[in-house]
Amino acid sequence: MQATVPGQNRTGATASPEGTQAMTDAVNELMPPVPIDTGAMEAERLLYIDESETVGSIPPSLGMDGMVKSGMARLKGANPSMLMDKIGERIAFERGGVRLYEALLAKYEAASRSGDVLPPAGEVQEVAEAQGLAVLAPVEGEAPTQTLQRIRSEELAHFQLLCAAMTQMGGDPTAQTPCADVTATASMGLMQVLTDPRTTLAQCLNTILTAELTDNAGWELLIQLAEQAGEGELAGRFLGALAQEQEHLVTVKGWLTTLVTEGAGTPAV
Amino acid sequence: MAINLLNDKGMPLQRQRMSWKDMVGKPISKLDDDAFTRVRIILMNGVELDAVRTKQIALRCNGQARLQLAELMRVEQHQATTINWLLGPDHSPIETTIGYEQTAIEVTASVAQLEPDPYLAQAYRFGLLEDFDHLYRYTALLDRLEGKDANNITQGYTDIVPARATLFHHRAPEHELVEPYPADAALATKLHALTLTGGEYQTHDYYMNIGPMFADPMARQLYAEIASVESQHITHYGSMLNPNESVLEKLLLSEACEVWNYAGCAQQETNPRIKALWEQFLDYELGHLQAAMRLFEEVEGRDPAELLGDGKLPPFIEYRSQRGFVRKVVETETQLRKRGTEFVDESQEGKSSLEYRKAVNAGGSPSEAVAATYSWMPGTELMREQVEGLPT
Repeated sequence: MQATVPGQNRTGATASPEGTQAMTDAVNELMPPVPIDTGAMEAERLLYIDESETVGSIPPSLGMDGMVKSGMARLKGANPSMLMDKIGERIAFERGGVRLYEALLAKYEAASRSGDVLPPAGEVQEVAEAQGLAVLAPVEGEAPTQTLQRIRSEELAHFQLLCAAMTQMGGDPTAQTPCADVTATASMGLMQVLTDPRTTLAQCLNTILTAELTDNAGWELLIQLAEQAGEGELAGRFLGALAQEQEHLVTVKGWLTTLVTEGAGTPAV
Repeated sequence: MAINLLNDKGMPLQRQRMSWKDMVGKPISKLDDDAFTRVRIILMNGVELDAVRTKQIALRCNGQARLQLAELMRVEQHQATTINWLLGPDHSPIETTIGYEQTAIEVTASVAQLEPDPYLAQAYRFGLLEDFDHLYRYTALLDRLEGKDANNITQGYTDIVPARATLFHHRAPEHELVEPYPADAALATKLHALTLTGGEYQTHDYYMNIGPMFADPMARQLYAEIASVESQHITHYGSMLNPNESVLEKLLLSEACEVWNYAGCAQQETNPRIKALWEQFLDYELGHLQAAMRLFEEVEGRDPAELLGDGKLPPFIEYRSQRGFVRKVVETETQLRKRGTEFVDESQEGKSSLEYRKAVNAGGSPSEAVAATYSWMPGTELMREQVEGLPT
């Protein structure tokens, strides 16, 4: 891995002043600026939105009779289909999260070959606690690799917890629900950053931060939906997962801050 | 209603006009539409683009047909756009790849059973086994890179297991060719070969375009490796086409091939909106065939019936799971290799292929690395990984 350092970046207009001046002259002569109006694009998008269908449907529940007794009939308040769609979304996200952390582990291994690049998670959590943030797990003595492996295992455990919840509700955990599909589309860029050999550990942590922030918000919403549906026991299990996700977030954020503030010029940054 | 190639006139070329809005309509639903709707879309995009490709080559070879070729290509470009744009943007590039490989497997398996020439049927089964293995390799990549289950795309129709390992698909060029069909081959034989060539061409081109878009070096390697095999497949199927056919003969067969394929799609399509599109394009292609027949008669002074016989369409590709047939081929023909244009046991394989393979695999085999220890299971392989202490 190489450090990201100042160099021959050619992308800015100031990198080619003569070319930029010539282009500006051409614009002034041939397409003088007028007030910006993107109305045509908006109108077209609206037309397509109005005429479009959804990305797909929420899969039907398995065995209506069994489902009515054991799950869906108990659900109150929230639309039970929505709860299943959102569980499907979290299944997809947690499963993808396992793969993201696998890619991050490889990146960490490469970055740490020349020595420690990240402080133990315990240290960044102490900083967070000093700032008044509650952090779940004591991780004293845990090396960063162990922390990353633990987080990967917890993402996997969350995935399997959600699969069990989906099955319990009469749903199929292997089906791709609409929200699962859409969240996968939104996540396409995350894996691209994590698996790019050229990206630094800090750039990857910044990307994982996007995932963890989304994940935390996703679990909060899921707990709310489960509670509204009268699924208190399920909501309790989800709360346990959220607590772990909060710890992941604090750790990732702390690591990123440490790297960016203290590690400039090193290969990890 | 049964189509007759010689009698049905279709829509005149001059009336075949589409706006950008017509071309960019609603995509299919990845979640709700049947996998075979996507299979037909992928195949017909390939067939349509091959029809354009054939005409571009004809344009370079025949001075008298230039204007007609340009007119036909314009419409076909827009047909291909309409079809290809039916794939929704929520298909990740690997998910689309899974669709491509499923198309190759199911279509080739059906063609292998329809093909009246036993040697060519063997050639289809040979290629089938390789695309079948590609599906397994890409499934492992989809699971291990994106955390997704390929069966969300294949919908239970197609087995996802290894066959002749991709590692062994790399052959020296002299062992890639197949004997061409004779001039008097059945129309079905000619249409089969054209369809598969077009399908493989598009698969190759797709992999060549999306391969560099991946950040993951393993994905980049796998696409490089399988794109190379797809290039071999273009040669494999393309070499079935009789090289002594005139350019306008090829044009006529290409149009008949499109008619035959659209008619098969229209007959079996389950999505009413897409069925209407296949019917519309069937009508277009009948119009194109008329133009091609006129050129054949006027420029070459030959009778289209010489190629099209009584004008009846051969039996259609069957869009349904070919699992039973594929399993039998996997079981009995995985060990086959190539020597020249012959299909031989692995012990008889052409020696230069072994040398070639050693060179390309010198730095390791991407397809082996990606799929090491991989077994498909519903919901991805992570369903079977044990974790201690679920959160309570």
